[in-house]
Amino acid sequence: MADFDRESMLEMFSFEMNQLVDQLEQTIIASESGFSSDFINEVFRIMHTIKGSAAMMLFDTIATATHAAEDLFFYLREEKPTDVNYSELTDHVLACMDFIKEELGKIEQGVPVNGNPDKVVQDITAFLAGLKGETVGEVAVATEEAKAAAAAEITSPFGNHRYRVKIRFDEEAQMENVRAFAVINNLKAYTLGMVCEPEDLTSEDAIPFIRVNGFTVSFTSNYSYDTIFDILNKGVYIQDIFLEEYTKENEEMEGLNSFDVFLKFDEGAQMENVRAYTVVNTLKPYADYLLHHPADLLDEGAAAVIQTKGLHIDLATAQSYDDVYDLLMQTIYLKELKITPKYGQAAVATVAETVLAEDTAIVANDVPAAASAPVVDNVAADAQALAASANPAAAKRSSGQAVISVNVSKLDQLLKLMGELVIVEAMVTQNPELEGLQLENFHREVRQLKKIIKDVQETVMTMRLVSLSGTFFKMNRIVRDMCKALNKDCVLDIVGENTEVDKNIIEHIGDPIMHIVRNSLDHGIETPEKRRAAGKPERGRIVLEARNAGSEVWIIIEDDGAGLNKDRIMDKARANGLLKKPENEYTDREIFQFIFMPGFSTNEVVTSYSGRGVGMDVVNKNLEFVGGSVVVDSAPGEGSVFTMKIPLTLAIIEGMIIKAAGAKYTIPIVSIRDSFRPNPEDIFMDPNGNEMITVRGDHYNVVRLHEFFGLEGEVKETKDGIMMIIENGDDAVCLFVDDLIGEQQVVVKSIPKYIKKIRGVSGCTLLGNGEISLIIDVAGFFDK
Amino acid sequence: MSVTMDNDFMAEDRSAADITRNLYLSFIIEEEQYAVEISSIKEIIGVVPITIVPQTENYIKGIINLRGDIIPVIDMRLRFMKQEIQYDDQTCIVVVLYQDYILGLIVDRIIGVYTLDEQMISSPPNAKLSYANQFVKNIGRKDEGIMLLLDLEKILFV
Repeated sequence: MADFDRESMLEMFSFEMNQLVDQLEQTIIASESGFSSDFINEVFRIMHTIKGSAAMMLFDTIATATHAAEDLFFYLREEKPTDVNYSELTDHVLACMDFIKEELGKIEQGVPVNGNPDKVVQDITAFLAGLKGETVGEVAVATEEAKAAAAAEITSPFGNHRYRVKIRFDEEAQMENVRAFAVINNLKAYTLGMVCEPEDLTSEDAIPFIRVNGFTVSFTSNYSYDTIFDILNKGVYIQDIFLEEYTKENEEMEGLNSFDVFLKFDEGAQMENVRAYTVVNTLKPYADYLLHHPADLLDEGAAAVIQTKGLHIDLATAQSYDDVYDLLMQTIYLKELKITPKYGQAAVATVAETVLAEDTAIVANDVPAAASAPVVDNVAADAQALAASANPAAAKRSSGQAVISVNVSKLDQLLKLMGELVIVEAMVTQNPELEGLQLENFHREVRQLKKIIKDVQETVMTMRLVSLSGTFFKMNRIVRDMCKALNKDCVLDIVGENTEVDKNIIEHIGDPIMHIVRNSLDHGIETPEKRRAAGKPERGRIVLEARNAGSEVWIIIEDDGAGLNKDRIMDKARANGLLKKPENEYTDREIFQFIFMPGFSTNEVVTSYSGRGVGMDVVNKNLEFVGGSVVVDSAPGEGSVFTMKIPLTLAIIEGMIIKAAGAKYTIPIVSIRDSFRPNPEDIFMDPNGNEMITVRGDHYNVVRLHEFFGLEGEVKETKDGIMMIIENGDDAVCLFVDDLIGEQQVVVKSIPKYIKKIRGVSGCTLLGNGEISLIIDVAGFFDK
Repeated sequence: MSVTMDNDFMAEDRSAADITRNLYLSFIIEEEQYAVEISSIKEIIGVVPITIVPQTENYIKGIINLRGDIIPVIDMRLRFMKQEIQYDDQTCIVVVLYQDYILGLIVDRIIGVYTLDEQMISSPPNAKLSYANQFVKNIGRKDEGIMLLLDLEKILFV
């Protein structure tokens, strides 16, 4: 059961993380040129959520990496430095994102999450240090202010210096606990509060613990490092002493924050010492260093001290101010809470926020603190914030959930059931037993039923629709990284990213888009020098556009680069033995299709981005899977246009059932422009025997469906059949069929894979009587 | 506990395999008796309406609706380049599962199920004279006569 819970939590976790990381990546790239304060807040919020969730799920590597990045933005938010290298900053943040993505990948595959965040953390810390170096003055001022403010309000019971010492005793020492006790005794006179590990030196576990882990004491003192070291060195049987002082620099190195925490309980709270003990225990797991005053909370006298003078905690932790704040706000009977960072970096914010915190604390007295905590941290609220990311400020505080996340398998199941419902509906309403009966009421109810079923079905379909924006915006990153690596200058313009397609389809078009964009940038866009020489703007341009076209979505990737080299493609095709007909019969589009063949690369030099001949064949393979296609147009020196045509949905379509050659076929309604009984006089024929028809002044090619499929037609006379104008994008053709049967929603099923792809057929469907009807693939009439 | 259970399951599996081993479904295609291992047969149904799929090999008669699943059917007479006949009430569709393909094979009529021990099965002659011969994996001998054991791989993919 526990496993199951963690499993589903993990799923949720990785889903959210992926969304957050994507969102963050897009946000960052969008504002690489300069960060507004709104933007920094937004980033900070996302980072904070990532870190919080990761820490909650115990993925420390992710939490650590994010923490470093968060620190960076904390600095940006608080200090508002002006002279920042945003490009370098973006690099660091993206590196951090990459690290997180890698770790997330491991989580999803169920392998140990063991990446080493040190590199990322060091880079960011170094960068941050660089930033701070430029603004040292400000920090110093801030520090002074903070100290003054802190000193004026509460007198800290702790010393100026904070140390931690780890002592190992000689192997032959024996009775390590007693020796440790001696150390404490020696120190006592010089310290103001100390905590040692192990805590209870009298327990039997203490000796083995010290032997393995050494003996650690955290303490504060007003004496200098050297003095303390000398005192410690006086001990006997000591093998080595590792004494470290917590200073601002050290803590930054280790990603720690230090806070002075002061809190007081309500008058009626009672047992203040026990409450204080709870507080300390809450903090302990997060603390690198923690001292509290009064020191002995289990002593009865402590209660009175805390009641009057409050509880002081000296804390060094990897958690941020907000985390500590959240933790402490969970305390019940809390009356007063002050968290003051030790060093100036956050001074400005905390003074204000502490005041706010106090207010909240009073209001929130007995209410569970989480509800009123300023950082909304629960899952639902995050999902909501994501949905409303266009307006993050509004999303922060609103009650109720507007968006929930649903497992895709449930949606698939719903769709499957929907399909069955549609079939059964047809079975019932078109039941042969009803034929010839006068059933006025029945038919009225049937119309009602059909309408509702259709509405439900449309709702189910829209639930599955996902905007292309996520897929599109990912390309920003690719373009950016490649530009940097290849020393090219290029902008990516995104148009129509809100176009929606079915979830199942979107999974298969991300890779094709990526490969085409890469190809365009690598092979298409020239270097700035070449572009200047060719009289083009130095900055290249790739347009990524999505648009609806009937039952299809077109994704168009257009670049203004060098264009495809027809001759080289032809040479390569010849060399690879791909030519199937005389060379001069190949149209440009056919030649360009060769670049989608596996292993086909005209690039002699293999770069990290292309040249291996893998990639473009993925385009074709993935598109075939979703029933899409791609065409390429290109002009030398002007650029190339890749047009991917993708069906909107795979599942249920509105179809017109028609009869031809004794069988029933289904034509998607969206492709039908018109249908009429033809007048034989409008039909004429060219010398090759191609039939054409004039309809209201326009001319169309005539395709007789049975001839197209090579079947025997039942209707011989043109005047006895029906002409339908069928369109696919900009093309149209006149289709001759025997008869129209009726309009119906059909559930698209694929043709068994044993039968290879048939031109003009996209799938099949079951009619109400169990009969199979092939679904006409309108595009099949057009490409030669 | 779990160990013994595993053993039980394995024993059951083995016995299930034992039951179907050496069992063959025999049928007639134009006077000749053929057979297919019963383990690759899903079910046998009568002839149902077949939807023609254009632009396919002539022996692929089309697709049928088997309780909501769409499966292709192959006319075995046409597959063996023999004379096509009108389907009658003896004609059957043998639904086979080969790898992950499900297909229907249209045969003239079903004879029944036979057990063929290994010593009753021999290799076909080496010389491949007739077109249909290449689909035969082995020859089974029975008191009633000879039956040709079909190679589904060849029937589906050659």
